[in-house]
Amino acid sequence: MADDRKKLPTVNPLGGDVDTGPPASWLITKVDAVVNWSRRNSLWPMPLGTACCAIEMMATAGSKYDIARFGAERFSFSPRQADLMIVAGRVTYKMAPILRRIWDQMPQPKWCISMGACASSGGMFDNYTIVQGIDQIIPVDVYVPGCPPRPESLLYALMMVQEKIKGESLANPVHREESPDSAGKPNLPPEAIELVAQPFGNSTRQNRISGVEGSSAISRPRDRRERLLEHQD
Amino acid sequence: MSSTVAEPLPDLVVGEQPLADAEASVSVRALRSRFGEAIRGVRLDAVGTPVVSIDPARVHDALSFLKTDADQAYDLLLDVMGADPGGDLVIQVWYQLWSMENGRMLRLLVLLPRADLSVQSAVDLYPAADWLEREVYDMYGVSFEGHPDLRRILMPENYDEGFPLRKDFPLRGRFTRSEQVRRALNRSTEDVYAREELALAGVLEAEPAAELAADEAGEAEDYLAGEKMVINMGPQHPATHGVLRLVLQLDGETIVRCIPHIGYLHTGFEKTCEYREWNQVVPYTDRMDYLAPMLYNIGYAGAVESLLDVEITPRCQVVRLIMSELNRLLGHLLWLGTGAMDVGATTVFLYTFQERERIYNLHEAYCGGRITTSVTRIGGMVADLPVGWLDACRELVNGLPATLDEAERLLTRNSIFQARLVDVGIIDAEKALEFGLTGPNLRASGIAYDVRKARPYLGYEEYDFDVPVGVVGDAYDRYLVRMEEMRQSIRILQQALDRVPDGPINVQDPAVILPDKSEAMSSIDAMISHFKLVMEGVQVPAGDVWYSIEATKGELGFGLISDGGPKPVRCRFRGPSFVNLAALPYLVEGGLVSDVIAANASIDIVLGEIDR
Repeated sequence: MADDRKKLPTVNPLGGDVDTGPPASWLITKVDAVVNWSRRNSLWPMPLGTACCAIEMMATAGSKYDIARFGAERFSFSPRQADLMIVAGRVTYKMAPILRRIWDQMPQPKWCISMGACASSGGMFDNYTIVQGIDQIIPVDVYVPGCPPRPESLLYALMMVQEKIKGESLANPVHREESPDSAGKPNLPPEAIELVAQPFGNSTRQNRISGVEGSSAISRPRDRRERLLEHQD
Repeated sequence: MSSTVAEPLPDLVVGEQPLADAEASVSVRALRSRFGEAIRGVRLDAVGTPVVSIDPARVHDALSFLKTDADQAYDLLLDVMGADPGGDLVIQVWYQLWSMENGRMLRLLVLLPRADLSVQSAVDLYPAADWLEREVYDMYGVSFEGHPDLRRILMPENYDEGFPLRKDFPLRGRFTRSEQVRRALNRSTEDVYAREELALAGVLEAEPAAELAADEAGEAEDYLAGEKMVINMGPQHPATHGVLRLVLQLDGETIVRCIPHIGYLHTGFEKTCEYREWNQVVPYTDRMDYLAPMLYNIGYAGAVESLLDVEITPRCQVVRLIMSELNRLLGHLLWLGTGAMDVGATTVFLYTFQERERIYNLHEAYCGGRITTSVTRIGGMVADLPVGWLDACRELVNGLPATLDEAERLLTRNSIFQARLVDVGIIDAEKALEFGLTGPNLRASGIAYDVRKARPYLGYEEYDFDVPVGVVGDAYDRYLVRMEEMRQSIRILQQALDRVPDGPINVQDPAVILPDKSEAMSSIDAMISHFKLVMEGVQVPAGDVWYSIEATKGELGFGLISDGGPKPVRCRFRGPSFVNLAALPYLVEGGLVSDVIAANASIDIVLGEIDR
């Protein structure tokens, strides 16, 4: 009877493929696998909670949703010990330099989740005080839609960051590049900011000059991601 | 009754109000006899509060008279509100006064010509006016003569685009978005620092030299005695409950000065609401106090209904009352969890969040949202209660006392908890009134002022509940008062859940509430009113109102002005936390650094309504 038992499949606990290529390549892959495995399962979030989304972020940390299941329960209120920034809530122009400074203070490697409509695009606040998307200030890895997003959405965003980390490699430092000159500077060139900050939703009825008169030309704004990609080069 | 004929207010939207009734008010008669010519007009607002328009030069005298005169005794300044009717019309400044002793409200109105936007400050009479006047200055550019520290409060110190709430200021600001980002990020450290901080830093530079001289002379035995240190707490700090920034000047562990800086979450609610139709404002209201969102929905709808003179249905009234008390529990439970965590008790946070999840489930079952509920519509609610909702609510309410007992067993007699809270952040009744505190903070100082009792709305007068008050006015009293308030809320809920009457949830008024879909498809009248409501929105008659309810943090006031159009001319939200937070320096100065956390947690602030 023991012979009938199927042999259990062998699983590589580190998740990397056992490469049969040259030994040097095998070694690099292996280190990547170990590093990425440990990084993605012990993300320390820096909770930049400003408004409603912060309450949902706290609910995510509560017992029902329990962010500890993903290894990210160690909220680090000091940016210097954090590697995942969660911007939860609206960011004002008054807060912008502080957001940028906190991001600059976080050591590499670091990732950023933009939680909620306000952080991602200004949301329903297309006015004089709200930054129309934090990607104008800092780079963003995952945008979470919702006003506010449910805790499940935040957990899904966390898993997307983990997925992203899985594909990273020490040999390819491109996405870790950060010039000291960029500290305190906008993340996008001015023309890109103008493009992504065009009015969304119900604000297409107002124009920038008066803010009151209806504009006859209602242009459907192009996809935010598309516009950002245009200016990546 | 005075026989003086009231003249219509110049440059002011005047609704159809009985002027004779306004003249009958005791305060109006007293003001008339004392200030005579300076009184420019008198009338009632939409809820019947007398509005007195007065000469700007005499407003300080009038406030002083109203506060000190024994028959008037207006001891609580609720709000100072600015308003800009647009065009070349004058800028208005409104004062909302409440007399504890007589239970009377009075509104003073000052009309300021655009060429001379100045009025005497009321800070010497009411310390509560400090931040309120700064906000009017920040938003309208009205200068208050004699104000000790008149500078921007919500916008950055060096904001140079103008005064945002003026009608000629564009909604999106004067500069392009890229220019706004560039300016925001280029703000140098010195600009970010407030004048006060620089003064503190100046003190720092001067003192070591003096110490050194004393040291050389061999006189400095206690070398560190006079050394002051400035530390910056926030705006990104786990215990400030949001993006609040406190600049603390310390002498050792003792706090010499505390300067709060706010505005890091200034979202421009009041400006944005002027560009929305009356019903479109509702989703904005629940994003101001995201800890108890429905209270804002309900208060706002009540304010607009008083302008429209619409009476909601009995069923709607009880449903709104149930939602109010559920949200009071929601807000207090968050305060309990985070407040306990701030002083080191993490377990309570997990317990209270479990209960909050249960209340969120009720929210979801009712309207689909957890936090951003937007449940009210003018004249009713978004929907009727779903089947079985009342039973689910009853089950929750019956289970709540056990959780509260558990939390109390962990905290109330816990010696560490007591050591952190007892005799920390004491404010007595007189000072609390001067600072304009309301809600549990005022009641913890021993004044039983609760809007639900003082000016009942939603039929609160028919329910049996008590108003708990404190004795000392310290952080521990504020804890006890809120715990008891939760039990009283449960008591109200238990009564209300058995009283929900049958009948329609919305008023049957085609000018306010959308007709039934099936009716709109079959009857031409219903289709027309449906079309008009969707395209033009609710038409609110010209007038103004000050309407307030008891929110979790204190008196939540709505100052609305309508010119008869589809959009509000002014939407003022008096966030109680804004006024309560202004008292924080008084609470913490002279205490220890660790007391700042406990005192700040005990006044229960939410930055969303402070910065608006």
